[in-house]
Amino acid sequence: MIEVTIQLLGFIAAALLLIIGIAGMVFLDNIIKKIIAFTLLSDGVNILLVAIGYIEGGVVPILLPGMSTVEFTTHAALVFPVGIVLTNIVIGVSTTAILVALAIMLYRRYGTLKASVVLKGERR
Amino acid sequence: MTTIPSNLWSIPLIVAIPLLAAIVVNALYDKRAIRYISIISALLTLGISIISPYGYHWFTGHPAFDPTTFTFTFDPGIPGFRLSLEFFFGPMQQIMIVISSLILVFCVIMATSGLTKHQGPYLAMIFLLFASAAIIIMVNDLYHLWIAVEIGSLIVVGVVVGSGTSISHKAALKYAYFSAICGSGLAIALALLLGITGFPNVSDVVRVINIFGVGGMETILYISFGFFILSWMYAGGLAPLHPLKSEVYGASYPHATAVLQAQSKLMLVAIGIIMLRIFGTLPFVKEVMIFLSIITMMLGVVIALLQIDFRWIIAYLIISHSGLVTLGIALGTKEGIIGGIFQAVNDIIYMSVLLFCCEALYYFGGATSTRGSFGIAKKSPWLCAAVLLGAFAASGIPPFNGFQSEIILIQASINAGFPEIAVIILMVSVTTLIALLRAIYRIFLKPPENEVAANAQIPKSITIGTWLFIILTIIIGVYPDIALRFIVPFVEGGFLP
Repeated sequence: MIEVTIQLLGFIAAALLLIIGIAGMVFLDNIIKKIIAFTLLSDGVNILLVAIGYIEGGVVPILLPGMSTVEFTTHAALVFPVGIVLTNIVIGVSTTAILVALAIMLYRRYGTLKASVVLKGERR
Repeated sequence: MTTIPSNLWSIPLIVAIPLLAAIVVNALYDKRAIRYISIISALLTLGISIISPYGYHWFTGHPAFDPTTFTFTFDPGIPGFRLSLEFFFGPMQQIMIVISSLILVFCVIMATSGLTKHQGPYLAMIFLLFASAAIIIMVNDLYHLWIAVEIGSLIVVGVVVGSGTSISHKAALKYAYFSAICGSGLAIALALLLGITGFPNVSDVVRVINIFGVGGMETILYISFGFFILSWMYAGGLAPLHPLKSEVYGASYPHATAVLQAQSKLMLVAIGIIMLRIFGTLPFVKEVMIFLSIITMMLGVVIALLQIDFRWIIAYLIISHSGLVTLGIALGTKEGIIGGIFQAVNDIIYMSVLLFCCEALYYFGGATSTRGSFGIAKKSPWLCAAVLLGAFAASGIPPFNGFQSEIILIQASINAGFPEIAVIILMVSVTTLIALLRAIYRIFLKPPENEVAANAQIPKSITIGTWLFIILTIIIGVYPDIALRFIVPFVEGGFLP
């Protein structure tokens, strides 16, 4: 039987958020709802990264006085995913800001937030 | 054994100068000084990329672990795990960055003298676009690769919005949506590779897979490959995501499109080579990449034939020729990869010629529609000659550079056991010529039926830029070794020392 660990729960939560996020971005028609779906997708990626870096009974990856290197390398959590999560949060905010700005510009022009109307092809 | 510089001064400068220029011109917003600062910054970037030695630059300070002596070292010659975020500037990176920064120079001159006068934020986007392209071609770690793709995509959105039409806003929104999906996908791929191997450095990831195997983790590797492919298609404009990129090319100003297409080619080469290094040994990986390349080549050129505007014809031809670049890399042979990278260099040059000519047409009142006939050859015979030469180079006619790279790709396809791909490459070349000549006849050669600006003054920057790049197409076409001596050592040396 599969043992339910915090890491496994993290993977499940991440998978759910990723699926909901992608489905929302693809199938929802309202531009703002699409943007909200993107934030869910971005959060799913963050949880996936945190879950990958998680170590059962791990410690903060800082070599403290009195800690042996063997103890440190055995118990220290992976530090790199945390850095990626921070970057992903920044990129997520930037992307959301750009998407919202574009949505406002297109709303002013077309008077609607329906992607099916706003993104309809124009004759060139 | 020659020592390879490990804290190369030039790598941070190649990225930092455009970044600083972007901050300054953005802050100045509408001042005349923007023009001088932009041109000086672009020239500085070009100069540094020309004089820079080859070597590494490390970030995060993690040294390599030498398993034989149990010591830590920054010597790239030691085949240990590097554990670091690193950039490498070699001959291949040099030629790609030099050509791109040459385009950047002319782009900023055109942007500040012509159609988009004194727009600080717009120029800032152009500089950031170049910086993202430079990062991506030099990077050897997944973290910076992901950041460069993400930021590069957001900047593409900014550049497209800068042209200010309703089509450009729509194209930007669509591109931003897919940027959000594909960027997250690349982050997942990064996370999965990190989970399997524990390393962000591409060389380390490859070494772990080669030494220890993947131990039943093939499925995870394939999922990661899937997300990489998605990012590759999106960042480079490969089918079936080509409409996103073609809209971006068509909706931007031609001078910006020149930088955009250079950035796309650099992304295609960089991501393609990283995919080949990490996933190249897995079954079906190369076949998937070849399939995507062929579909892109054929779809791009067929849709280009259906277009009624010179800008959009070029946009779809850029897409089609991206397929040629990826095809060479996807073949996975040394000859193929050399051909693919050489094609990328040539493609950036001759597409810039066509785009600069398209920019010149804006000064004739935007006479780019093939439904009208404008007789521009009589008004500007030099422009007509330039666009014809650009068309010949794009179609792979000797003695232009397109011929040299396409012949290598044809040979590589035959030697790899795919003679039918060689036939497709020839068909793409012929169709490219037909699509371009049809548009050139209508716009330039056919007796005029539509009125255009009688005394159009094409800026000197466009004329000089166009002819400089035409001269480059001929020089590289006659002496291909000028470019190949940068590309061959990179490929034969196993991509990195």
